[in-house]
Amino acid sequence: MSSQANWKSVTGIATLLFDGNLVAIAIAILFTFGVPIFLHVVFFRAVASPPSSNFLLLGPSGSGKTAFTTLLEAKSSPASKKTHNTHTSQTSTFVSVSLPPSVPTASNRYRSINDPSLKEASRNPVRYRVKDTPGHGKLRASQGIATLQTMAISNDTSTKIRGLIFMVDTAALVDETVLRDTATYLHDVLLVLQKRELKKSSAKRSIGVPVLLAANKQDLFTALPPGSVRDKLETEIDRIRKSKTKGLLDASADAGLDTEEEEILGNDDGQGVFNFKLLEEEVGVKVEVVGGAIKGDSEDEFGSGVRRWEEWIGMCL
Amino acid sequence: MLEAFEVVTTSGVVLWSKSYAPVGSHVINSLINDVFIEEKVVPQGNAATGASPIFKKEKYTLKWKQVKEFNLIFVAVYQSLLHLGWIDKLLENISTIFLDLYKDQLKGNRTRITTYRFEPYFEQQVRELEDNTGSVAETHIAETGEKKDPLVSSDNGGPPPPPVPGLIKAQHQAALAGATSDEGTPPATPDTSRSGTPVAGHILTGKAGPGGRVSRRARKAANVNTNASSGDEVSRKAKPTKGSAKKMRKWDDNGFADEDDGENLDYSAPAGDENTSAPAVESVAAEDWGHKTGKGQFVLKDLGDEVHNILDNADAQKGKGSSAASGFIGSGFNAVGGLFRNIVGGKVLTESDLQKPLKVMEDHLLKKNVAREAAVRLCEGVERELVGKKTANFQSVDAALRIAMEASLRKILTPTSSLDLLREINAITAPTTKAQAPRPYVMSIVGVNGVGKSTNLSKICFFLLQNNYRVLIAACDTFRSGAVEQLRVHARNLNELSSRENVGEIELYEKGYGKDAANVAKDAVDYAAAHKFDVVLIDTAGRRHNDQRLMSSLEKFAKFANPDKIFMVGEALVGTDSVMQARNFNAAFGTGRNLDGFIISKCDTVGDMVGTLVSMVHATGIPIVFLGVGQHYGDLRGLSVPWAVDLLMK
Repeated sequence: MSSQANWKSVTGIATLLFDGNLVAIAIAILFTFGVPIFLHVVFFRAVASPPSSNFLLLGPSGSGKTAFTTLLEAKSSPASKKTHNTHTSQTSTFVSVSLPPSVPTASNRYRSINDPSLKEASRNPVRYRVKDTPGHGKLRASQGIATLQTMAISNDTSTKIRGLIFMVDTAALVDETVLRDTATYLHDVLLVLQKRELKKSSAKRSIGVPVLLAANKQDLFTALPPGSVRDKLETEIDRIRKSKTKGLLDASADAGLDTEEEEILGNDDGQGVFNFKLLEEEVGVKVEVVGGAIKGDSEDEFGSGVRRWEEWIGMCL
Repeated sequence: MLEAFEVVTTSGVVLWSKSYAPVGSHVINSLINDVFIEEKVVPQGNAATGASPIFKKEKYTLKWKQVKEFNLIFVAVYQSLLHLGWIDKLLENISTIFLDLYKDQLKGNRTRITTYRFEPYFEQQVRELEDNTGSVAETHIAETGEKKDPLVSSDNGGPPPPPVPGLIKAQHQAALAGATSDEGTPPATPDTSRSGTPVAGHILTGKAGPGGRVSRRARKAANVNTNASSGDEVSRKAKPTKGSAKKMRKWDDNGFADEDDGENLDYSAPAGDENTSAPAVESVAAEDWGHKTGKGQFVLKDLGDEVHNILDNADAQKGKGSSAASGFIGSGFNAVGGLFRNIVGGKVLTESDLQKPLKVMEDHLLKKNVAREAAVRLCEGVERELVGKKTANFQSVDAALRIAMEASLRKILTPTSSLDLLREINAITAPTTKAQAPRPYVMSIVGVNGVGKSTNLSKICFFLLQNNYRVLIAACDTFRSGAVEQLRVHARNLNELSSRENVGEIELYEKGYGKDAANVAKDAVDYAAAHKFDVVLIDTAGRRHNDQRLMSSLEKFAKFANPDKIFMVGEALVGTDSVMQARNFNAAFGTGRNLDGFIISKCDTVGDMVGTLVSMVHATGIPIVFLGVGQHYGDLRGLSVPWAVDLLMK
């Protein structure tokens, strides 16, 4: 008995295992429960997590971010077709809204119009989430940019950013100070996105965060057309870029907190003239300028002024 | 008269509003900007007496009440000319009623979609308080009986009304029908949560008299959906078949209501109206829908009663909350629970919870050389922000306080609009539009004696020279001996440095001692314009900030030289005095002209005790532009908010 039931010979081990031994039972239990868990861990990670559908809404104060959010909310709720008025925001909000069924989404891009599954989709519309942030100068860094940074580096689906909407008040952009303010904010936002893109290893370079420049208030007489908005912002950002390279260091540079040197938007060492195309080529951040109007839409359809922005959102989803 | 009343969330959405006259939305926007975000204006209100804080904008006065639990702000706007004593009470009552009615909606995630039909409640409150103007402080309990409109009492008691009032009443009733259907339709109205109470239907129907007119207006505004009104129509038609469902009162000779008689007295309005939402009228006792007054008049229970119920409940709860913590949980258990929640989080903060940590925080700030005044106000602000808030999971009170203080410091130090000096200079010296003629950009530097005005001026000058500008230094310190010579040395050094690197150009404009500084500055600007300089830097004499004689000359200086930017230099070493320095200099340039920024010098000498930054910004709301961090020309830095907050909270 003792000569057989030991660990020295193969038959000995086999005997031990088929014995009513505690060790054997423990190993068996470990296998039975361990393997499924192990398999789950391995394969669950391997499957791509479903893409997130969070959109961040940034822009200077008074550009219409909260109004846009409330409009989307009103549109996606069947009961009320009336938007609330808005004032300056102090806090951010996360709202869940749905895309109108008539707006095509990127995932349904290749489907035929007669595809029955499209009808299915129209019955339960695509839902996405929009985060509205305050645009006041004092709250930008702590709420707008900070949110963008956490959303940009997050891997969690519930917080990961899918697209960025930057609201611009086109009627006020003629004013030099408003333009400067808007461009400074946009510059900071794009810089965050650029840092994110460049930090990523080239191997797993996924698609960047697309940016929509929502040229709001197109219903007003004094509004600039989207093309002109684009030009104005490009030249202004170019100016900011130039003066940033020549500007003073800030106090944290001495403390050695921020070791990485200040980057320049566009990643071309500030040589050429900045434009959004350059940003797309060099960095991979795609910026689109689309006009729209939250208020003053035509009588026939509620909230038709934001249709093109919704189409953009649909193409991201 | 009240101009407008709004219920706004902190995320900027107007949940409910009522305006009697058009008030631009910028009025409330500026309230939010100035009071809540920038904290420029310190609200003058006394929490102890229950008076709401006041904010004045243009011709309006704004009073508000903030409810942190739901992130709501109730704002009342009225003309400053009027003295409305009942606004405080109105804010108090309206917020209580609103929160009570829409608790569920506000807690849920459909807060912003719900349509709030708050009109009648609001109207009732305004009417009541307006009537009561003399005795605002009186409690609202049990005064319903006496406080009736003459019209209402003539409707309900006493002799039958003369024909003309009857006609008026008809109109009211007709309007009322709309209002009733509006309120009574169960789906999608916020009233659903209350519709179970037997009084619901009667409250609305009982609201005869003055309310009727407004609710018709409201109805028009609210655009009642046709569904509801058609449903009402049907039920009205169906009513007569129910026979004696509606009990008509007959008034006997003594003025008592006789309820058994089925005879119709009210010829003006459709009879079945009142029963639409409460068919089981028979079972309702008379006390439920009205009560007899001391004089024996029968008064219909109106909206006021429900409102008062809500208010009474709120009062009772407040009283209960202050006296005992809770009915069934012992105080000992509660204390343990409090301790437990302190560790686990989810604790609703009260003033007593915060007292001790706030004291510690204040001491910490004082150690960091923050002026006492600023530290106290910062702590008060944080306390105001935190009281009534719930701590997050696994968050202690200290941690919550720390986070709030950090956020508060960050908010203070972050400028509303960041200053990019080079871009501003470019915009002036090389304007993009033809309409603007290029001119030199004028900067002036002021401050107390010996804080480093000339040194910082030379540092800025060095920075500008590096960027290839032609700079003129104007020596307007015509008072202290050696001041001009000091600048001359700086100018010579900088000239040497810049010519070596082949960058900008520098020149010194001096007129010797004893001249009027304002005139010298003006001449210097003219000279610079004539000789195509890009930037003029004006050095001024140091002056004690509480010396009226010396400070008064600054106003003339600002008018003559008209600088684009006036910077004040403050030492990082200065302690409590920093607040007064900043305030006095800010006020010295006359109306309409303020400082544009602070330069905090000698930051290298204080280590992490950078409290002066906070004190100065807190006192004036003017941003910090530069920090002086050393003895060399290159030792000038911009402000980094995270860096400063880090040092302060360390």
